[in-house]
Amino acid sequence: MTSLIRNPLTIVWALLAAVTIASSLIAVDGGASHQINTTVTTVVLLIAAFKAHLVIRYFMEVRHAPVWLKATTTGWVLGLFALLFGFYFAAL
Amino acid sequence: MTDVAEGSATGVDQSQRAADTRGHVPGEASMWFFVVGDLLIFAVYFVGYMYFRGQNHELFLASQARLNVDIGAINTIVLLTSSLFVALGTAAARAGNTASGLRAFWIALAFGAAFPILKMFEWIPEITAGLTPGKNLFFMYYYVMTGMHLCHVALGLVIMCFVIRNLKTSTMPKISFIETGATYWHMVDVLWLVLFALLYLMR
Amino acid sequence: MSSSVATAPQSGAEQAKSWRTNRKLDQWIAFWSVPFFFNVFGLVFVPLSWMMPPRSPSSPTPHIVDFMHSHNLLIACLILTLAYGLAPVSNALYLVQIKRMSVSPAFRYSMMIGAITGAIVGMLFPMFCFGLGAFRPGYSPGVLTMLYDFGYLAFIGSLGCFCVMWMAFGLAIILDENRILPKWLGYYTVWQYVTELMAAPVWIAKTGPFAWNGLMTFWFAMALYVSWQFIVYLCIYKTIKNQPESELDNAAPQPAPAAIEVSSRTGA
Repeated sequence: MTSLIRNPLTIVWALLAAVTIASSLIAVDGGASHQINTTVTTVVLLIAAFKAHLVIRYFMEVRHAPVWLKATTTGWVLGLFALLFGFYFAAL
Repeated sequence: MTDVAEGSATGVDQSQRAADTRGHVPGEASMWFFVVGDLLIFAVYFVGYMYFRGQNHELFLASQARLNVDIGAINTIVLLTSSLFVALGTAAARAGNTASGLRAFWIALAFGAAFPILKMFEWIPEITAGLTPGKNLFFMYYYVMTGMHLCHVALGLVIMCFVIRNLKTSTMPKISFIETGATYWHMVDVLWLVLFALLYLMR
Repeated sequence: MSSSVATAPQSGAEQAKSWRTNRKLDQWIAFWSVPFFFNVFGLVFVPLSWMMPPRSPSSPTPHIVDFMHSHNLLIACLILTLAYGLAPVSNALYLVQIKRMSVSPAFRYSMMIGAITGAIVGMLFPMFCFGLGAFRPGYSPGVLTMLYDFGYLAFIGSLGCFCVMWMAFGLAIILDENRILPKWLGYYTVWQYVTELMAAPVWIAKTGPFAWNGLMTFWFAMALYVSWQFIVYLCIYKTIKNQPESELDNAAPQPAPAAIEVSSRTGA
Protein backbone atom coordinates (compact mmCIF):
# COMPACT_ATOMS: atom_id res chain seq x y z
CA MET A 1 0.00 0.00 0.00
CA THR A 2 2.76 2.43 0.90
CA SER A 3 4.41 1.74 -2.41
CA LEU A 4 1.18 2.86 -4.02
CA ILE A 5 1.12 6.07 -2.03
CA ARG A 6 4.77 6.82 -2.61
CA ASN A 7 4.50 6.10 -6.32
CA PRO A 8 5.17 9.29 -8.27
CA LEU A 9 2.06 8.64 -10.33
CA THR A 10 -0.10 8.77 -7.23
CA ILE A 11 1.54 11.98 -6.15
CA VAL A 12 0.79 13.48 -9.54
CA TRP A 13 -2.79 12.31 -9.18
CA ALA A 14 -3.14 13.88 -5.77
CA LEU A 15 -1.87 17.14 -7.16
CA LEU A 16 -4.29 16.92 -10.07
CA ALA A 17 -7.21 16.20 -7.75
CA ALA A 18 -6.26 19.04 -5.48
CA VAL A 19 -6.08 21.65 -8.20
CA THR A 20 -9.32 20.33 -9.70
CA ILE A 21 -11.12 20.96 -6.44
CA ALA A 22 -9.39 24.29 -6.05
CA SER A 23 -10.42 25.48 -9.48
CA SER A 24 -14.00 24.32 -8.92
CA LEU A 25 -14.13 26.43 -5.79
CA ILE A 26 -12.59 29.37 -7.57
CA ALA A 27 -15.37 29.28 -10.14
CA VAL A 28 -17.22 31.21 -7.63
CA ASP A 29 -20.96 30.83 -6.99
CA GLY A 30 -21.47 28.47 -9.94
CA GLY A 31 -21.82 31.44 -12.22
CA ALA A 32 -25.02 32.65 -10.62
CA SER A 33 -23.93 36.23 -11.00
CA HIS A 34 -23.67 35.91 -14.81
CA GLN A 35 -20.62 38.13 -14.74
CA ILE A 36 -17.47 37.99 -16.77
CA ASN A 37 -14.56 37.42 -14.45
CA THR A 38 -11.14 37.61 -16.02
CA THR A 39 -9.32 36.53 -12.87
CA VAL A 40 -11.37 33.39 -12.46
CA THR A 41 -11.03 32.57 -16.13
CA THR A 42 -7.30 33.12 -16.20
CA VAL A 43 -6.70 30.99 -13.13
CA VAL A 44 -9.05 28.27 -14.29
CA LEU A 45 -7.51 28.05 -17.76
CA LEU A 46 -3.97 28.07 -16.44
CA ILE A 47 -4.84 25.28 -14.05
CA ALA A 48 -6.40 23.33 -16.92
CA ALA A 49 -3.23 23.76 -18.97
CA PHE A 50 -1.16 22.64 -16.03
CA LYS A 51 -3.32 19.56 -15.53
CA ALA A 52 -3.18 18.66 -19.20
CA HIS A 53 0.58 19.02 -19.11
CA LEU A 54 0.86 16.75 -16.07
CA VAL A 55 -1.34 14.04 -17.54
CA ILE A 56 0.55 14.13 -20.81
CA ARG A 57 3.96 14.11 -19.22
CA TYR A 58 3.40 11.64 -16.43
CA PHE A 59 0.42 9.44 -17.23
CA MET A 60 1.05 9.35 -20.95
CA GLU A 61 4.77 8.97 -20.28
CA VAL A 62 5.75 11.66 -22.72
CA ARG A 63 8.42 12.53 -20.18
CA HIS A 64 10.32 9.55 -21.53
CA ALA A 65 9.33 10.04 -25.12
CA PRO A 66 11.41 11.21 -28.06
CA VAL A 67 11.81 14.91 -28.61
CA TRP A 68 9.38 15.09 -31.50
CA LEU A 69 6.56 13.73 -29.37
CA LYS A 70 7.41 16.04 -26.47
CA ALA A 71 7.47 18.98 -28.84
CA THR A 72 4.17 18.06 -30.49
CA THR A 73 2.26 17.62 -27.26
CA THR A 74 3.78 20.67 -25.61
CA GLY A 75 3.05 22.61 -28.75
CA TRP A 76 -0.56 21.52 -28.57
CA VAL A 77 -0.97 22.68 -24.98
CA LEU A 78 0.77 25.99 -25.61
CA GLY A 79 -0.92 26.65 -28.93
CA LEU A 80 -4.39 25.76 -27.72
CA PHE A 81 -4.24 27.85 -24.58
CA ALA A 82 -2.64 30.76 -26.39
CA LEU A 83 -5.58 30.78 -28.78
CA LEU A 84 -8.08 30.36 -25.97
CA PHE A 85 -6.64 33.27 -24.02
CA GLY A 86 -6.31 35.29 -27.19
CA PHE A 87 -9.93 34.91 -28.23
CA TYR A 88 -11.12 35.42 -24.68
CA PHE A 89 -9.36 38.69 -24.12
CA ALA A 90 -9.92 39.93 -27.64
CA ALA A 91 -13.64 39.75 -27.14
CA LEU A 92 -13.81 41.63 -23.88
CA MET B 1 7.05 22.78 -14.91
CA THR B 2 7.12 21.49 -11.36
CA ASP B 3 9.21 18.43 -11.05
CA VAL B 4 7.27 16.04 -8.97
CA ALA B 5 9.39 13.50 -7.21
CA GLU B 6 11.59 12.81 -10.19
CA GLY B 7 11.90 9.24 -9.09
CA SER B 8 11.37 6.01 -10.85
CA ALA B 9 7.85 5.57 -12.06
CA THR B 10 8.62 2.13 -13.26
CA GLY B 11 11.86 1.31 -11.51
CA VAL B 12 14.08 2.21 -14.44
CA ASP B 13 15.98 5.37 -13.72
CA GLN B 14 19.61 5.75 -14.68
CA SER B 15 19.19 3.48 -17.64
CA GLN B 16 16.16 5.52 -18.58
CA ARG B 17 18.26 8.67 -18.81
CA ALA B 18 20.32 7.08 -21.51
CA ALA B 19 17.27 5.84 -23.34
CA ASP B 20 15.69 9.27 -22.96
CA THR B 21 17.84 10.76 -25.61
CA ARG B 22 16.17 8.44 -28.04
CA GLY B 23 12.97 8.12 -26.06
CA HIS B 24 10.28 5.50 -25.85
CA VAL B 25 6.98 5.93 -27.64
CA PRO B 26 4.37 4.17 -25.53
CA GLY B 27 2.30 1.83 -27.60
CA GLU B 28 1.91 1.97 -31.35
CA ALA B 29 2.91 5.08 -33.23
CA SER B 30 -0.31 4.97 -35.25
CA MET B 31 -2.27 5.50 -32.03
CA TRP B 32 -0.23 8.61 -31.35
CA PHE B 33 -1.11 9.78 -34.85
CA PHE B 34 -4.74 9.38 -33.83
CA VAL B 35 -4.22 11.03 -30.45
CA VAL B 36 -2.52 14.11 -31.84
CA GLY B 37 -5.09 14.41 -34.59
CA ASP B 38 -7.96 14.04 -32.16
CA LEU B 39 -6.42 16.65 -29.89
CA LEU B 40 -6.26 18.98 -32.87
CA ILE B 41 -9.84 18.29 -33.90
CA PHE B 42 -11.12 19.01 -30.42
CA ALA B 43 -8.87 22.06 -30.29
CA VAL B 44 -10.80 23.48 -33.23
CA TYR B 45 -14.00 22.94 -31.26
CA PHE B 46 -12.51 24.52 -28.15
CA VAL B 47 -11.29 27.58 -29.99
CA GLY B 48 -14.55 27.83 -31.93
CA TYR B 49 -16.40 27.76 -28.63
CA MET B 50 -14.22 30.52 -27.23
CA TYR B 51 -14.68 32.60 -30.36
CA PHE B 52 -18.46 32.35 -30.39
CA ARG B 53 -18.57 32.87 -26.67
CA GLY B 54 -16.85 36.19 -27.27
CA GLN B 55 -19.77 37.22 -29.43
CA ASN B 56 -22.45 36.08 -27.02
CA HIS B 57 -21.25 36.81 -23.52
CA GLU B 58 -24.58 37.16 -21.77
CA LEU B 59 -26.04 34.12 -23.44
CA PHE B 60 -23.10 31.92 -22.55
CA LEU B 61 -22.82 33.18 -18.99
CA ALA B 62 -26.51 32.77 -18.30
CA SER B 63 -26.49 29.29 -19.80
CA GLN B 64 -23.39 28.22 -17.92
CA ALA B 65 -25.09 29.05 -14.66
CA ARG B 66 -27.54 26.23 -15.38
CA LEU B 67 -24.84 23.55 -15.48
CA ASN B 68 -24.16 21.13 -12.68
CA VAL B 69 -20.61 22.02 -11.68
CA ASP B 70 -20.58 19.44 -8.90
CA ILE B 71 -21.13 16.51 -11.21
CA GLY B 72 -18.65 18.06 -13.60
CA ALA B 73 -16.02 18.21 -10.89
CA ILE B 74 -16.75 14.71 -9.65
CA ASN B 75 -16.50 13.39 -13.19
CA THR B 76 -13.14 15.12 -13.54
CA ILE B 77 -11.84 13.39 -10.45
CA VAL B 78 -13.35 10.12 -11.64
CA LEU B 79 -11.50 10.29 -14.95
CA LEU B 80 -8.27 11.37 -13.31
CA THR B 81 -8.48 8.43 -10.93
CA SER B 82 -9.24 6.07 -13.74
CA SER B 83 -6.22 7.40 -15.60
CA LEU B 84 -4.08 6.91 -12.54
CA PHE B 85 -4.98 3.26 -12.36
CA VAL B 86 -4.43 2.83 -16.07
CA ALA B 87 -0.95 4.28 -15.66
CA LEU B 88 -0.27 2.10 -12.64
CA GLY B 89 -1.59 -0.95 -14.44
CA THR B 90 0.55 -0.27 -17.47
CA ALA B 91 3.65 0.10 -15.34
CA ALA B 92 2.85 -3.10 -13.48
CA ALA B 93 2.27 -5.05 -16.66
CA ARG B 94 5.54 -3.77 -18.06
CA ALA B 95 7.36 -4.89 -14.94
CA GLY B 96 5.89 -8.36 -15.42
CA ASN B 97 3.45 -8.03 -12.54
CA THR B 98 0.39 -9.17 -14.47
CA ALA B 99 -1.83 -9.77 -11.44
CA SER B 100 -1.23 -6.29 -10.15
CA GLY B 101 -1.76 -4.85 -13.59
CA LEU B 102 -5.03 -6.68 -14.00
CA ARG B 103 -6.29 -5.42 -10.65
CA ALA B 104 -5.36 -1.87 -11.52
CA PHE B 105 -7.16 -2.06 -14.85
CA TRP B 106 -10.31 -3.43 -13.28
CA ILE B 107 -10.34 -0.48 -10.91
CA ALA B 108 -9.67 1.86 -13.81
CA LEU B 109 -12.59 0.33 -15.69
CA ALA B 110 -14.90 0.75 -12.71
CA PHE B 111 -14.05 4.43 -12.38
CA GLY B 112 -14.27 4.89 -16.12
CA ALA B 113 -17.70 3.31 -16.24
CA ALA B 114 -18.88 5.71 -13.56
CA PHE B 115 -18.37 8.62 -15.96
CA PRO B 116 -21.23 7.93 -18.35
CA ILE B 117 -23.52 7.04 -15.44
CA LEU B 118 -22.83 10.33 -13.73
CA LYS B 119 -23.24 12.07 -17.05
CA MET B 120 -26.78 10.70 -17.32
CA PHE B 121 -27.55 12.16 -13.91
CA GLU B 122 -26.36 15.43 -15.32
CA TRP B 123 -27.96 15.38 -18.76
CA ILE B 124 -31.35 13.88 -18.02
CA PRO B 125 -32.48 16.53 -15.54
CA GLU B 126 -31.13 19.18 -17.88
CA ILE B 127 -33.00 17.86 -20.87
CA THR B 128 -36.23 17.41 -18.99
CA ALA B 129 -35.84 20.99 -17.79
CA GLY B 130 -35.80 22.10 -21.42
CA LEU B 131 -32.07 22.68 -21.73
CA THR B 132 -31.72 20.91 -25.05
CA PRO B 133 -29.07 21.22 -27.76
CA GLY B 134 -31.43 23.39 -29.76
CA LYS B 135 -31.95 25.86 -26.95
CA ASN B 136 -29.06 28.12 -27.79
CA LEU B 137 -25.51 28.10 -29.10
CA PHE B 138 -23.95 27.43 -25.73
CA PHE B 139 -26.03 24.35 -25.16
CA MET B 140 -25.36 23.16 -28.69
CA TYR B 141 -21.63 23.39 -28.05
CA TYR B 142 -22.11 21.81 -24.64
CA TYR B 143 -23.98 18.76 -25.89
CA VAL B 144 -21.92 18.36 -29.06
CA MET B 145 -18.59 18.56 -27.28
CA THR B 146 -19.52 16.49 -24.24
CA GLY B 147 -21.39 14.10 -26.53
CA MET B 148 -18.39 13.57 -28.78
CA HIS B 149 -16.30 13.17 -25.68
CA LEU B 150 -18.74 10.62 -24.28
CA CYS B 151 -18.43 8.60 -27.50
CA HIS B 152 -14.68 8.64 -26.96
CA VAL B 153 -15.18 7.47 -23.38
CA ALA B 154 -17.38 4.61 -24.55
CA LEU B 155 -14.78 3.54 -27.08
CA GLY B 156 -12.08 3.81 -24.43
CA LEU B 157 -14.02 1.54 -22.10
CA VAL B 158 -14.36 -1.03 -24.86
CA ILE B 159 -10.63 -0.86 -25.51
CA MET B 160 -9.97 -1.24 -21.81
CA CYS B 161 -12.07 -4.40 -21.76
CA PHE B 162 -9.85 -5.83 -24.46
CA VAL B 163 -6.78 -4.87 -22.45
CA ILE B 164 -8.21 -6.63 -19.42
CA ARG B 165 -8.97 -9.68 -21.51
CA ASN B 166 -5.40 -9.67 -22.75
CA LEU B 167 -4.05 -9.49 -19.22
CA LYS B 168 -6.39 -12.18 -18.01
CA THR B 169 -6.07 -14.75 -20.68
CA SER B 170 -2.62 -14.63 -22.13
CA THR B 171 0.56 -15.73 -20.43
CA MET B 172 2.52 -13.03 -22.21
CA PRO B 173 0.40 -9.89 -22.27
CA LYS B 174 1.07 -7.64 -25.22
CA ILE B 175 2.64 -4.61 -23.63
CA SER B 176 2.44 -2.60 -26.80
CA PHE B 177 -1.30 -3.13 -26.98
CA ILE B 178 -1.76 -2.21 -23.32
CA GLU B 179 0.27 0.95 -23.78
CA THR B 180 -1.73 1.81 -26.89
CA GLY B 181 -5.01 1.46 -25.02
CA ALA B 182 -3.62 3.44 -22.11
CA THR B 183 -2.51 6.26 -24.37
CA TYR B 184 -5.99 6.51 -25.84
CA TRP B 185 -7.57 6.61 -22.40
CA HIS B 186 -5.28 9.34 -21.14
CA MET B 187 -6.13 11.40 -24.20
CA VAL B 188 -9.80 11.10 -23.28
CA ASP B 189 -8.85 12.39 -19.84
CA VAL B 190 -6.89 15.37 -21.21
CA LEU B 191 -9.82 16.36 -23.42
CA TRP B 192 -12.16 16.33 -20.45
CA LEU B 193 -9.81 18.52 -18.42
CA VAL B 194 -10.11 21.24 -21.03
CA LEU B 195 -13.85 20.72 -21.45
CA PHE B 196 -14.41 21.04 -17.73
CA ALA B 197 -12.60 24.36 -17.59
CA LEU B 198 -14.26 25.79 -20.69
CA LEU B 199 -17.83 24.71 -20.10
CA TYR B 200 -18.22 24.64 -16.35
CA LEU B 201 -15.68 26.92 -14.78
CA MET B 202 -14.61 29.84 -16.91
CA ARG B 203 -16.52 33.10 -16.69
CA MET C 1 -22.67 0.95 -66.41
CA SER C 2 -19.79 -0.39 -68.36
CA SER C 3 -17.68 2.46 -69.50
CA SER C 4 -14.97 1.59 -71.91
CA VAL C 5 -11.47 2.61 -71.56
CA ALA C 6 -11.60 6.37 -71.90
CA THR C 7 -9.28 6.98 -68.99
CA ALA C 8 -7.20 3.83 -68.51
CA PRO C 9 -3.81 4.31 -70.14
CA GLN C 10 -1.45 5.41 -67.44
CA SER C 11 1.44 3.03 -68.15
CA GLY C 12 3.77 4.63 -70.68
CA ALA C 13 2.91 5.23 -74.30
CA GLU C 14 5.03 2.45 -75.72
CA GLN C 15 3.25 -0.09 -73.55
CA ALA C 16 -0.09 0.80 -75.08
CA LYS C 17 -0.68 -2.79 -76.09
CA SER C 18 -0.06 -4.25 -72.68
CA TRP C 19 -2.79 -2.30 -70.93
CA ARG C 20 -5.34 -4.53 -72.48
CA THR C 21 -3.81 -7.56 -70.86
CA ASN C 22 -3.23 -5.83 -67.55
CA ARG C 23 -4.89 -8.05 -65.01
CA LYS C 24 -5.66 -5.15 -62.74
CA LEU C 25 -7.42 -3.28 -65.52
CA ASP C 26 -10.77 -3.42 -63.78
CA GLN C 27 -9.36 -1.80 -60.69
CA TRP C 28 -7.54 0.83 -62.67
CA ILE C 29 -10.67 1.73 -64.61
CA ALA C 30 -12.53 2.05 -61.36
CA PHE C 31 -9.70 4.05 -59.89
CA TRP C 32 -9.51 6.58 -62.68
CA SER C 33 -13.26 6.95 -62.78
CA VAL C 34 -12.94 8.54 -59.38
CA PRO C 35 -11.19 11.80 -60.29
CA PHE C 36 -13.51 12.04 -63.27
CA PHE C 37 -16.55 11.50 -61.07
CA PHE C 38 -15.40 13.85 -58.35
CA ASN C 39 -14.52 16.59 -60.77
CA VAL C 40 -17.89 16.31 -62.48
CA PHE C 41 -19.54 16.51 -59.12
CA GLY C 42 -17.41 19.43 -58.06
CA LEU C 43 -18.33 21.35 -61.18
CA VAL C 44 -21.97 20.45 -60.95
CA PHE C 45 -22.40 21.32 -57.34
CA VAL C 46 -20.28 24.41 -57.14
CA PRO C 47 -19.85 26.79 -60.02
CA LEU C 48 -22.73 25.40 -62.04
CA SER C 49 -25.57 25.35 -59.58
CA TRP C 50 -24.12 26.95 -56.44
CA MET C 51 -25.70 24.19 -54.50
CA MET C 52 -22.43 23.92 -52.69
CA PRO C 53 -21.27 25.40 -50.39
CA PRO C 54 -24.69 24.82 -48.92
CA ARG C 55 -27.13 27.65 -49.00
CA SER C 56 -28.52 28.91 -45.78
CA PRO C 57 -31.17 26.82 -44.03
CA SER C 58 -32.82 30.02 -43.03
CA SER C 59 -33.02 31.50 -46.52
CA PRO C 60 -36.18 33.45 -47.17
CA THR C 61 -38.73 31.59 -49.25
CA PRO C 62 -38.45 33.68 -52.42
CA HIS C 63 -34.74 32.91 -52.59
CA ILE C 64 -35.43 29.24 -52.18
CA VAL C 65 -38.05 29.29 -54.91
CA ASP C 66 -35.71 31.09 -57.28
CA PHE C 67 -32.95 28.65 -56.60
CA MET C 68 -35.15 25.61 -57.10
CA HIS C 69 -36.36 26.96 -60.43
CA SER C 70 -32.98 28.10 -61.64
CA HIS C 71 -31.68 26.94 -64.98
CA ASN C 72 -28.36 25.93 -63.61
CA LEU C 73 -29.90 23.66 -61.05
CA LEU C 74 -31.70 21.97 -63.90
CA ILE C 75 -28.48 21.27 -65.76
CA ALA C 76 -26.80 20.19 -62.55
CA CYS C 77 -29.54 17.67 -61.84
CA LEU C 78 -29.37 16.39 -65.39
CA ILE C 79 -25.68 15.69 -65.11
CA LEU C 80 -26.17 14.23 -61.67
CA THR C 81 -28.80 11.82 -62.96
CA LEU C 82 -26.42 10.55 -65.61
CA ALA C 83 -23.28 10.40 -63.50
CA TYR C 84 -24.84 8.97 -60.38
CA GLY C 85 -23.97 5.45 -61.46
CA LEU C 86 -20.28 6.11 -60.94
CA ALA C 87 -20.69 6.14 -57.18
CA PRO C 88 -20.81 2.35 -56.84
CA VAL C 89 -17.73 2.10 -59.04
CA SER C 90 -15.67 4.29 -56.74
CA ASN C 91 -16.90 2.37 -53.74
CA ALA C 92 -15.90 -0.87 -55.42
CA LEU C 93 -12.29 0.18 -54.97
CA TYR C 94 -12.60 0.07 -51.21
CA LEU C 95 -14.35 -3.25 -51.27
CA VAL C 96 -11.75 -4.95 -53.45
CA GLN C 97 -9.04 -4.02 -50.97
CA ILE C 98 -11.01 -4.77 -47.84
CA LYS C 99 -11.57 -8.26 -49.18
CA ARG C 100 -7.84 -8.88 -48.96
CA MET C 101 -7.74 -8.06 -45.29
CA SER C 102 -7.53 -10.64 -42.57
CA VAL C 103 -10.59 -9.33 -40.79
CA SER C 104 -14.03 -10.87 -40.69
CA PRO C 105 -16.16 -10.55 -43.83
CA ALA C 106 -18.67 -8.77 -41.63
CA PHE C 107 -16.64 -5.61 -42.11
CA ARG C 108 -16.84 -5.90 -45.86
CA TYR C 109 -20.59 -6.45 -45.81
CA SER C 110 -21.15 -3.62 -43.37
CA MET C 111 -19.17 -1.35 -45.58
CA MET C 112 -21.04 -2.46 -48.66
CA ILE C 113 -24.46 -1.94 -47.14
CA GLY C 114 -23.33 1.33 -45.62
CA ALA C 115 -22.15 2.50 -49.02
CA ILE C 116 -25.35 1.42 -50.72
CA THR C 117 -27.66 3.09 -48.25
CA GLY C 118 -25.35 6.08 -48.09
CA ALA C 119 -25.42 6.59 -51.83
CA ILE C 120 -29.18 6.32 -51.88
CA VAL C 121 -29.82 8.63 -49.02
CA GLY C 122 -26.88 10.94 -49.45
CA MET C 123 -26.97 11.38 -53.19
CA LEU C 124 -30.12 9.98 -54.69
CA PHE C 125 -32.52 11.73 -52.35
CA PRO C 126 -31.01 15.17 -52.90
CA MET C 127 -31.04 14.47 -56.62
CA PHE C 128 -34.75 13.78 -56.41
CA CYS C 129 -35.46 16.80 -54.28
CA PHE C 130 -33.56 19.31 -56.32
CA GLY C 131 -34.59 17.54 -59.47
CA LEU C 132 -38.25 17.90 -58.60
CA GLY C 133 -37.74 21.59 -58.14
CA ALA C 134 -35.79 21.91 -61.35
CA PHE C 135 -37.68 19.57 -63.68
CA ARG C 136 -41.24 20.08 -62.45
CA PRO C 137 -42.35 23.68 -62.26
CA GLY C 138 -45.57 24.42 -60.49
CA TYR C 139 -44.97 23.37 -56.92
CA SER C 140 -46.03 25.78 -54.23
CA PRO C 141 -43.34 27.68 -52.29
CA GLY C 142 -44.14 25.65 -49.21
CA VAL C 143 -43.49 22.39 -51.02
CA LEU C 144 -40.34 23.76 -52.59
CA THR C 145 -39.06 24.83 -49.20
CA MET C 146 -39.67 21.36 -47.89
CA LEU C 147 -37.84 19.83 -50.83
CA TYR C 148 -34.96 22.22 -50.27
CA ASP C 149 -34.71 21.23 -46.60
CA PHE C 150 -35.10 17.57 -47.50
CA GLY C 151 -32.38 17.74 -50.14
CA TYR C 152 -29.82 19.46 -47.98
CA LEU C 153 -30.54 17.44 -44.89
CA ALA C 154 -30.30 14.23 -46.88
CA PHE C 155 -27.00 15.34 -48.33
CA ILE C 156 -25.35 16.65 -45.18
CA GLY C 157 -27.32 15.10 -42.39
CA SER C 158 -27.38 11.51 -43.60
CA LEU C 159 -25.10 10.18 -40.98
CA GLY C 160 -25.97 6.66 -40.02
CA CYS C 161 -25.09 4.87 -43.21
CA PHE C 162 -21.80 6.63 -43.55
CA CYS C 163 -21.02 6.11 -39.88
CA VAL C 164 -21.29 2.39 -40.41
CA MET C 165 -19.30 2.54 -43.62
CA TRP C 166 -16.38 4.48 -42.23
CA MET C 167 -16.28 2.71 -38.91
CA ALA C 168 -16.25 -0.66 -40.70
CA PHE C 169 -13.51 0.49 -43.04
CA GLY C 170 -11.45 2.13 -40.30
CA LEU C 171 -11.67 -0.82 -37.94
CA ALA C 172 -10.91 -3.24 -40.75
CA ILE C 173 -7.73 -1.36 -41.60
CA ILE C 174 -6.65 -1.10 -37.97
CA LEU C 175 -7.26 -4.77 -37.22
CA ASP C 176 -5.96 -6.10 -40.50
CA GLU C 177 -2.92 -8.25 -40.09
CA ASN C 178 -2.12 -8.36 -43.79
CA ARG C 179 -1.33 -4.65 -43.67
CA ILE C 180 -3.10 -3.99 -46.93
CA LEU C 181 -3.54 -0.36 -46.04
CA PRO C 182 -1.42 1.53 -43.49
CA LYS C 183 -2.67 1.56 -39.93
CA TRP C 184 -2.62 5.33 -39.60
CA LEU C 185 -5.08 5.44 -42.48
CA GLY C 186 -7.40 3.31 -40.39
CA TYR C 187 -7.28 5.87 -37.63
CA TYR C 188 -7.76 8.66 -40.15
CA THR C 189 -10.84 6.81 -41.38
CA VAL C 190 -12.20 6.78 -37.85
CA TRP C 191 -12.22 10.56 -38.17
CA GLN C 192 -14.44 10.18 -41.21
CA TYR C 193 -16.86 8.53 -38.83
CA VAL C 194 -16.34 11.45 -36.45
CA THR C 195 -17.20 13.96 -39.18
CA GLU C 196 -20.53 12.22 -39.59
CA LEU C 197 -21.19 12.64 -35.89
CA MET C 198 -20.06 16.24 -36.13
CA ALA C 199 -22.72 16.81 -38.76
CA ALA C 200 -25.58 15.64 -36.53
CA PRO C 201 -26.49 19.12 -35.23
CA VAL C 202 -27.60 20.18 -38.73
CA TRP C 203 -30.95 18.65 -37.95
CA ILE C 204 -31.46 21.16 -35.17
CA ALA C 205 -29.63 24.39 -35.90
CA LYS C 206 -30.85 26.66 -38.67
CA THR C 207 -28.24 29.33 -38.21
CA GLY C 208 -24.77 29.65 -36.83
CA PRO C 209 -21.81 27.29 -36.76
CA PHE C 210 -23.95 24.16 -36.40
CA ALA C 211 -26.31 24.72 -39.29
CA TRP C 212 -25.82 22.69 -42.46
CA ASN C 213 -23.70 25.50 -43.86
CA GLY C 214 -22.02 26.16 -40.53
CA LEU C 215 -18.38 26.49 -39.59
CA MET C 216 -18.26 23.40 -37.44
CA THR C 217 -20.66 21.08 -39.22
CA PHE C 218 -19.87 21.92 -42.81
CA TRP C 219 -16.56 23.72 -43.28
CA PHE C 220 -14.57 21.94 -40.62
CA ALA C 221 -16.13 18.58 -41.44
CA MET C 222 -15.39 19.13 -45.13
CA ALA C 223 -11.78 20.00 -44.41
CA LEU C 224 -11.38 16.65 -42.70
CA TYR C 225 -13.46 14.78 -45.25
CA VAL C 226 -11.83 16.13 -48.40
CA SER C 227 -8.29 15.68 -47.14
CA TRP C 228 -9.09 12.11 -46.20
CA GLN C 229 -10.64 11.47 -49.59
CA PHE C 230 -7.44 12.53 -51.35
CA ILE C 231 -5.24 10.56 -49.05
CA VAL C 232 -7.26 7.38 -49.17
CA TYR C 233 -7.11 7.30 -52.94
CA LEU C 234 -3.37 7.84 -52.86
CA CYS C 235 -3.09 4.87 -50.53
CA ILE C 236 -5.41 2.82 -52.72
CA TYR C 237 -3.31 3.67 -55.74
CA LYS C 238 -0.23 2.34 -54.02
CA THR C 239 -2.07 -0.71 -52.83
CA ILE C 240 -3.40 -1.59 -56.25
CA LYS C 241 0.06 -1.19 -57.67
CA ASN C 242 1.60 -3.37 -55.00
CA GLN C 243 -1.06 -6.04 -55.08
CA PRO C 244 0.50 -9.31 -56.19
CA GLU C 245 -1.21 -10.61 -59.29
CA SER C 246 -1.68 -14.01 -57.76
CA GLU C 247 -4.00 -12.46 -55.22
CA LEU C 248 -6.37 -10.93 -57.71
CA ASP C 249 -9.94 -12.13 -57.49
CA ASN C 250 -10.16 -12.44 -61.22
CA ALA C 251 -6.91 -14.37 -61.30
CA ALA C 252 -7.54 -16.94 -63.99
CA PRO C 253 -5.05 -19.77 -64.22
CA GLN C 254 -2.40 -18.93 -66.81
CA PRO C 255 -1.93 -21.87 -69.12
CA ALA C 256 -0.56 -20.03 -72.16
CA PRO C 257 -0.09 -16.43 -73.28
CA ALA C 258 -3.10 -16.92 -75.57
CA ALA C 259 -5.41 -15.57 -72.88
CA ILE C 260 -6.23 -12.36 -74.70
CA GLU C 261 -9.87 -12.26 -73.74
CA VAL C 262 -9.38 -9.87 -70.92
CA SER C 263 -11.70 -10.97 -68.22
CA SER C 264 -13.66 -7.80 -68.03
CA ARG C 265 -15.84 -8.66 -65.12
CA THR C 266 -16.28 -5.22 -63.82
CA GLY C 267 -17.10 -5.25 -60.22
CA ALA C 268 -17.66 -8.75 -59.06
